[in-house]
Amino acid sequence: MALTITCPICGKRNGYEFRFGGEEKGPRPAAHGLNPETWCDYVHNNNCVAGVQKEWWSHRDGCGSWFTIFRNTLTNLEADEPEERYEQV
Amino acid sequence: MNRFNQLLTLRIDPTRKKAFTYLGKTYQGAEGDTVASALYANGVRIFARSLKYHRPRGLYSLDGECSNTCMEVDGIPNVRAENTLLKNGMAVKAQNVKGTPEKDLLGFMDKMSWAMPAGFYYNTMHKPAMIWPIALKQIRKVAGLGKLAPDFAMTGKYDEIFPTADVCVIGGGPAGMSAALSAAENGLRVIILEARPWLGGFFEYRVAEYQNEVPLYQRARDLAKQVADTPDIRTFTHTAMVGAYSNNLITAFQIGGANDSFDQRYIEIRAQSVVVATGCIERPLLFDNNEKPGVMQIGCAHRLARTYGLLAGEKAVFSIGHDLGLEAAIDLFDLGLKISCVADIREDGQDPGLVEIMQRKKIPLLRGWVATEAHGKKTLNKVTLSTLQGTRDKEFSCDLLVASAGMTPVTGPLTLAQAKLAFDNHTGFFLPTQLPVKMHAAGRMSGLNDALAIEASGRCAGLQAAADCGASVDANLDEARTSLESRPGPVKGSKMVTAPVKGDKTFICFDEDTTVKNIKQAIEKGFDVTELIKRFTSAGTGPGQGGIPGHNLPLFVAQYNADPDVSAKPTTIRPPLVPTFIATYAGANHDMCKRTPLHALQKKAGGVFRRVGVWNRARYFSQDFTCRDEIDNVRNNVGLFDASTLGKFKIWGPDALKALQRVYVSDMSKISDGKIKYSAMCNEDACLIDDGVVIKRGKNDYYFTTSTARAGATVEWIRYHTRYDGWNYSMVNLTDAFGVINLAGPDARKVLAEITDADVSNDAFPYTGYREFKIKNTIPVRAMRLGFVGELSYELHAPSSYMPALWEILEDAGSEFNIRNFGLEAQNVLRMERCHVIIGAESEQRTTLHDVGLGFLWDRTKTDAKTVGAFALKQTEKQAGRLKLVGFKTEDSDARAPRDGSIIVDTKIRGYVCIARHSHTLDEVIGLALVDESLAKIGTKLEIYEDECGDKRLYAVVAPTPFYDPEAKRLKM
Repeated sequence: MALTITCPICGKRNGYEFRFGGEEKGPRPAAHGLNPETWCDYVHNNNCVAGVQKEWWSHRDGCGSWFTIFRNTLTNLEADEPEERYEQV
Repeated sequence: MNRFNQLLTLRIDPTRKKAFTYLGKTYQGAEGDTVASALYANGVRIFARSLKYHRPRGLYSLDGECSNTCMEVDGIPNVRAENTLLKNGMAVKAQNVKGTPEKDLLGFMDKMSWAMPAGFYYNTMHKPAMIWPIALKQIRKVAGLGKLAPDFAMTGKYDEIFPTADVCVIGGGPAGMSAALSAAENGLRVIILEARPWLGGFFEYRVAEYQNEVPLYQRARDLAKQVADTPDIRTFTHTAMVGAYSNNLITAFQIGGANDSFDQRYIEIRAQSVVVATGCIERPLLFDNNEKPGVMQIGCAHRLARTYGLLAGEKAVFSIGHDLGLEAAIDLFDLGLKISCVADIREDGQDPGLVEIMQRKKIPLLRGWVATEAHGKKTLNKVTLSTLQGTRDKEFSCDLLVASAGMTPVTGPLTLAQAKLAFDNHTGFFLPTQLPVKMHAAGRMSGLNDALAIEASGRCAGLQAAADCGASVDANLDEARTSLESRPGPVKGSKMVTAPVKGDKTFICFDEDTTVKNIKQAIEKGFDVTELIKRFTSAGTGPGQGGIPGHNLPLFVAQYNADPDVSAKPTTIRPPLVPTFIATYAGANHDMCKRTPLHALQKKAGGVFRRVGVWNRARYFSQDFTCRDEIDNVRNNVGLFDASTLGKFKIWGPDALKALQRVYVSDMSKISDGKIKYSAMCNEDACLIDDGVVIKRGKNDYYFTTSTARAGATVEWIRYHTRYDGWNYSMVNLTDAFGVINLAGPDARKVLAEITDADVSNDAFPYTGYREFKIKNTIPVRAMRLGFVGELSYELHAPSSYMPALWEILEDAGSEFNIRNFGLEAQNVLRMERCHVIIGAESEQRTTLHDVGLGFLWDRTKTDAKTVGAFALKQTEKQAGRLKLVGFKTEDSDARAPRDGSIIVDTKIRGYVCIARHSHTLDEVIGLALVDESLAKIGTKLEIYEDECGDKRLYAVVAPTPFYDPEAKRLKM
């Protein structure tokens, strides 16, 4: 795996060591007032950005922490936080 | 054949012989020979027959760029004979041959080429459809390269390493070595990859002058020595680079030498910066019969003599387009080769020094001439040369034609790294216009030809790479740039692609037998893009990975289409760049299984082990795989089961309970002291992912178990689902720190009472109770009264280091009650009789908590916990059309149990059997199945279809569960 990820605790490591945790979508919505559509959106529907996205990773074979990084999905390289971020669809 | 044995450039030791067999005869090669050079030394000229036309094929490039010299070596097909060092006792066979390579019974296929125009498969084989299977069989008899027997097992030792480096240099020629040295001088760790078994590149075999009367080969050796003496440079020779990925991840494989512990090993290098210095190969000259044995490239003929001590022929004609050809002609002439004529594609621009030497030695030079046809029945005996326009021709008899259109850069590594390439008119090369970040190209691949310029460009690249790694190199870089600029720049390259021929027998791709005529046919059919022409004609899709057609194909297409802006691009190259054994990728293929602390004891007790997930577990304790005795003993006496693979966790801290509430479907605030709480975890879709028990050991301190398969992911899962909350809790995975023994059977209490002072009576330690006490006043155990197998049982958790002792103590204490081990299969039957589910057996990824009948575990009141899956549990609670878990019995108790996973059918598929066994205890065939709701009612007849059962079906009836001890009296006794 060509990807490298910078763990906030362990530093830059090989992508093999990490588990992907999906796009950043914000905290779990509260249970009441939820309808199946919004719930499904939260759980299953992704923005699938072609470009820089914020996403969750776990350093599975290291410290075990969950953290977010920015990654350019077109180059599969870690990226800096973009200055302007698209609104969540 | 006489070999030179005094040349200073030799890489063989002719005094040390190696024996090998070919065509049933034993031959001798020398130490240092490749399989190909050893065969050539023994007079072999035809190494294989070609894919479609069975044309004879021989040595061409000596670097394994085509399938010409793919052979079967020691039973392994498609071994590249030019890249494989000869070993004593090797057995070599030719491929795609019926008979011998000299007398191939399928040689007539060459005359059939008219019947196989480009795309002939697509055009002729689809109608009628019934023809395909028949045609396929016939084609397979005739076409192909190596053959694999269905029972073929790969031999050899394979390994893998994953080194890191500051700078990775691809190519160990003069540029690569200079780059490596420059980077290392700046304190960086460097890796060099070199495809040949030694460093030196295109300096390595040449006797021409480098500078101050030092020959090039001597310079190559001096550089190689400097590299060897630099401790920060790690050199991998005989190592082909095969892949380049983002973030400068380079993959390669190395062929092991006599003293290596591996035959091949996979190398994956993570480098900060990469220098590509792969140099050039020769662009094949296209003319009629351009691949007839006896036709070879300049480097091949030259290196055969200089490296392997072999004159490639007696009388030669040269048709070349580069000064290297003139240099080789002079050198080989000096070594005794008769040269009838040297035809140079270039009308002018030759090195005047070389031309003068040729005149002095009376080697005829024809400028603006080119070979148009090679003659000879199997091997070469005559060559036709003509002017570039084809207006005049001459014939020469000869047994060697050294032919090459010019040089072309090895751009594979650049394309793999997604560099942009463009055609350069001056050099005739595809040159990088945009390189990826922290990647540099150097040396001959940028069109340079001057030895000092090549080295200077290597130094520049090495310093730039060093700068990528943070070294300050400005002064040195300026100096290197100045010395590069002071030397001659890129030389004008020959642009000729094809001699003036029609091209019926002019092969642009040797691997796939694609001719120039085929390419023209494809273009005339309307294919105008090189990528599509490649696919339609299959040029460049063979094992050589486009080594031969590589740059000729786009250039030919551009020329034929009279493409004015030469927007031609090399076709896309994908890893592996060089054919690689799958075995090499598999590496050592370690079996990384885990063993429980009781492994050795169970092995001694006759355990039959099976790989289960990451574990190696005792599945049976006898050769009776129905486990009748093991089961009987648990039901009637007492058994001992190693459950150490269960996931075991401690979670503690002020917010530990909140975390448990988040992932468990039950209300975890209701765990009583001294009791276990059974619960389950679901995913967001309400599908069951785990079950286990939770124990409260103190304030904010919990101990819980998960199923074996889930142990690895549990910490991650809980942290993931609490990642936004900032809760204060800690977790530790104790799966390997603790072992578990399940002591089960009606006599379990008696055994336990003998070894502990604690009160284990039914009143003091009832069913679903939890106690902590010591065994023999020493071993601390956490004991749970569970009943997974349906009997009175104690699950004893103890530190792993105590496990063997605890096991032996239990065996001792239990001997009077006939205690014995039971394995995984016995447990499986026992729990099935009691209808306790195993996740993954009675559930799959779509099975919800409700489906398996565990919906009662879900607490719908704790909405504040935002429990994972709670929303979907509500949604799926009454959802129609779901599969439900049911028990079934066959009508006839003597019937055979259906196989696990058999499907349940009526007019369509209605579910499947999760598990079914003949229950010895109940003397019935029982099982569990997930079936369509409509079939879930008790008494419904199920029709079971097994794989390959034809029209026969097995029948069963949905039955009440549990099958065994429905009132659960035995658990509580």
